[in-house]
Amino acid sequence: MVDHILEAHHLTKQEAQIPPEDWFEANETLQKLRKHKKFPTIWCSGCGLGVVMGALIRAIDHLGLDNDQVALVAGIGCTARMPVYMDFNTLHTTHGRALAFATGLKIARPDMKVIAIMGDGDALAIGGNHFIHAARRNIGITALVVNNSIYGMTGGQYSPTTPVGMRATTAPYGNVEPPFPICDLAMAAGASYVARSTAFHALELDKYLSEAIANDGFSLVEAVSYCHTTYGRINKLGTAADMMRALKDTSIPKASYDKLSPEEQQANTKIVRGVLQRKNRPEYTQIYNLLVEQQTQREEIRPRNTGRR
Amino acid sequence: MTEVEPVATQVQEKPVRKGPRGKVRIHATWCKGCTICVEFCPTNVLAMHPSGRHPIVVAEEKCTACHFCDTHCPDLAIVVRKLN
Repeated sequence: MVDHILEAHHLTKQEAQIPPEDWFEANETLQKLRKHKKFPTIWCSGCGLGVVMGALIRAIDHLGLDNDQVALVAGIGCTARMPVYMDFNTLHTTHGRALAFATGLKIARPDMKVIAIMGDGDALAIGGNHFIHAARRNIGITALVVNNSIYGMTGGQYSPTTPVGMRATTAPYGNVEPPFPICDLAMAAGASYVARSTAFHALELDKYLSEAIANDGFSLVEAVSYCHTTYGRINKLGTAADMMRALKDTSIPKASYDKLSPEEQQANTKIVRGVLQRKNRPEYTQIYNLLVEQQTQREEIRPRNTGRR
Repeated sequence: MTEVEPVATQVQEKPVRKGPRGKVRIHATWCKGCTICVEFCPTNVLAMHPSGRHPIVVAEEKCTACHFCDTHCPDLAIVVRKLN
């Protein structure tokens, strides 16, 4: 590296070297990164997306899946940059259509573990229709929705998950629209596994992610993250570390939420984290393949009724 | 760009616990200096470099290998190895 760059960053030559070989071998998280990809990532300094990415890699690693068995599908947005840095099959698609492409991929290759990585705007505003219908079909896709309550990449417009009263660049006097409860939506639409966690609870998140990937049907994991660059700046919520700490303070586990009285549950404004739904429902590709098998095994092909005798 | 002040570490005289020790390695070129690891480290192993651009290990012997910095680094720039 050039000397003046090192000087500007106050780095010694040893610190600035490309990661040595044993850097990747040191940690199982790093082993599934693209070694030849340019790091650091494009995300802002301290963004929770990096934490979620680490949790996703650890979850896949925990299940012992081969790199070729996993396909990551992403749309557009900050979150959709995530597969770029990981060493799996990846598909970068149009805005909001990650689940639509993932459905096609899952039907073509039912043996593959398909993970659709979406932001909150990507999943619920532009791709909201695909989201509810994927949950209705119960197709075996893991949807990882990273919720940062704002459209981060485009400059901080309010999104379907911005809480009421919070500011955004397109809502300078506060947002008046009630937000979408992502997990409730998926539960009502019929997803077979729904869980929620935050970027602060990274180890909990990778536990839920590995359960979701192992699950047969449609599974949703909502990872509550933060955007300190636009949302945090406009609402004066502090630095990345402050917002990370706020996630710890404003969330309660589901076990303690269940112990509250109904009135307290109504008044609860904290993020409830935990496994919210586990359902046994037939998986879409299995039913579809069964139908194809039944029809192809038929000896007689029914003649079409042409109306003539 | 203005010079970022180094984040002061809280001086707390806690007895160093017995148990697993870890070795922290930081890859400074991947780091963007968000200070999450420094603010959350329970035993104040890490502190910001005077330049404010990346953390450095200041108290290696205090590390208990809790893996907080490791799992919460958004840039995956920290690796903690558990020592026997």
